[in-house]
Amino acid sequence: MTARTRVLTGFVVVGLALFFVPAITETLDLPRFYVIFLFTVFFWIAQASSWNVLTGFSGYFSFGQGAWYGIGVYTVAVLTGKHGWSFMTALPVAGLLALVGGLALGFVVFRVRRLTGEIFALTTLAVAFVLASVARITSAIDGGTGVFMTGTPIPEFLGDFNTAMYRMTLVVMLLTVLAAYLTHDSRLGWGLFSIRDDEPVAGGLGVPVFRYKMTALAMNAFFAGLMGGVWSLQLGFVTIDDVFNIRVPLFVILMSVLGGLTHWMGPVVGALIIYTFSDRLNSAGLTDVNQIIVGALLVILALAVREGIYPRMRQRWVTTLVTLGGVIAVLSIFNLTESLITDFAFAMLATVLVLMIPDRLWARIRGDDGNAGGKPIGDPVGPLAEVDR
Amino acid sequence: MDLVVQGIVTGVLIGGLYALMALGISLSWGALKIINLAHFSFILLSAYVVYQLTVTFEVDPLLMTIVVVPVFFVVGVLIQMFFHWAKVDEFKSLIVTFGIFIILQSGMQTIWSADFRRIGSELNTYASGSLTVGGIPLPIPVLLSFMAASGIAVVMSLVLARTYFGKAVRAVAQDPEMARAYGVDTRRVAVLLSGLSGAFSALAGVFIALGQAIYPGLAVSWFGIVFSVVILGGLGNTVGALTAGVIVGAAAGAATVIWGPLAAPLVTFVILIAALLFRPQGLLTSRSVA
Repeated sequence: MTARTRVLTGFVVVGLALFFVPAITETLDLPRFYVIFLFTVFFWIAQASSWNVLTGFSGYFSFGQGAWYGIGVYTVAVLTGKHGWSFMTALPVAGLLALVGGLALGFVVFRVRRLTGEIFALTTLAVAFVLASVARITSAIDGGTGVFMTGTPIPEFLGDFNTAMYRMTLVVMLLTVLAAYLTHDSRLGWGLFSIRDDEPVAGGLGVPVFRYKMTALAMNAFFAGLMGGVWSLQLGFVTIDDVFNIRVPLFVILMSVLGGLTHWMGPVVGALIIYTFSDRLNSAGLTDVNQIIVGALLVILALAVREGIYPRMRQRWVTTLVTLGGVIAVLSIFNLTESLITDFAFAMLATVLVLMIPDRLWARIRGDDGNAGGKPIGDPVGPLAEVDR
Repeated sequence: MDLVVQGIVTGVLIGGLYALMALGISLSWGALKIINLAHFSFILLSAYVVYQLTVTFEVDPLLMTIVVVPVFFVVGVLIQMFFHWAKVDEFKSLIVTFGIFIILQSGMQTIWSADFRRIGSELNTYASGSLTVGGIPLPIPVLLSFMAASGIAVVMSLVLARTYFGKAVRAVAQDPEMARAYGVDTRRVAVLLSGLSGAFSALAGVFIALGQAIYPGLAVSWFGIVFSVVILGGLGNTVGALTAGVIVGAAAGAATVIWGPLAAPLVTFVILIAALLFRPQGLLTSRSVA
């Protein structure tokens, strides 16, 4: 079995397993909350993964996730809420419009060679602001009053509202992660990595730099817009301040940085961890503290775990599984918390803390050079370290 | 027509305030390669501190300048020492200062709630005052901030051009390694410059507290306009920032009068995008300087 077949089989297995979760919770009479929790996780996984295709792979840091998400939300909201389209016809339009927006931005900014790095980041930030103010002054879109979505019927074959949301977010999430994986593992992916490492050299060696960057940006925009379109149903009442705020870009950055920008699984892991924490903190009534913790996490993570959690999870996979399983087992056997999600949150917290132990300290704990059979990760040591600065 | 002139003049003055907010960011980005998003929350925090002190001790709000400016100078110094210790580069600074921004924002939201806060008119005699020049009333708070911004921009540009400290800053901006090799204490220069930009943020906060009601969401609303000023003015170019502030302010003022207040941000961001595309090196900077 090649690596690719293995991963694709994994996709099918996980997808099928997740597909039957709503039915299982219904049979076991578990709280509906689990389904809602899961589809919100799917939403964030898709947003973070789509962002990572552009920023993680090509190195072009984007603050513009809110723009693509916003296009998706508003397309569906306006088409169904104001023009009476059916949801299923409006949804693809949402993805496509975001894609067109992404291509338009890329066509302009990728032609200007100076627009790299921080200037690119700030341009994407500005695009979200421009879209917000356009929507605010155009009464055909929003006009500052918001758009009601409550009358939009959901296709019946998808089941009741929560099940329908679950299934749609699951499909879009799987598609997004699959696209990220296929990109990561292809010629396009290698091209994007070479752009991240050194764009002029990549271009000189024959990588079609412009086309690859356009593709990455288009994928980012398309999947973010598609998931935004689905999410408009969950919002119900769509307003500028809710959609074009700083939450979406902030969270996708945080999730991907935590999980690891270089691997397609990084944002998946990061989204799962961050959303679980933030959900638990919110349900404990610590909304303000939640934000402060999120900010502090961002600072610590950016400085401490440069390569993200996921590569370390792979390297120390035994530790990861033992910590995760052990904490969940202890908590659920002694029934210490009121919810399975809380158990999970504590287990992940423990795992993250264990994985954040720096490589050198880790090696001392284990009593070896910490590198037996593994590739070196983290900071380069020796003469290379100096060159790298 | 009078209205348009009035709008432009007011816009120019408000542009001074934008420039004052932009100065610190421009300097630390241009010379230290730190894009300090937390600068916005420093400004707002300073405004809240001025508000709180004024209301608690019932004193003249302008007097509070002597309190907040030194305090935020120290804040600027400390934050740069932290960046230095953590070896933050240009790219990482975006993420790290974004995190600090979020922390400060939620902190302010927790302490002062999301309500609008305004220094009462019995304490803040400046808010209602205005100076009429040629039939156009100029509100005192924006007039003061415009004067402060112009003063600082000109003085800073002279300092950068003429003094040893200025020379050191420019050397650090061009090539920190080389500067160090030639005996410039880069850490000291960086810390001092960051302290200055902290002090500028405090001063901007004073004028914000004087002129308008403050609430936590204000900081986010400055992002776009202040960054357009920073980029339009050219990184590290203080007179450029002032010029850019005036241009952006005038355009936004004219747009407000002609198309209504909602059009102002749109005009600003169109200017920003145009600036990014056509003159990413800034208006007054020559093309050869990156």
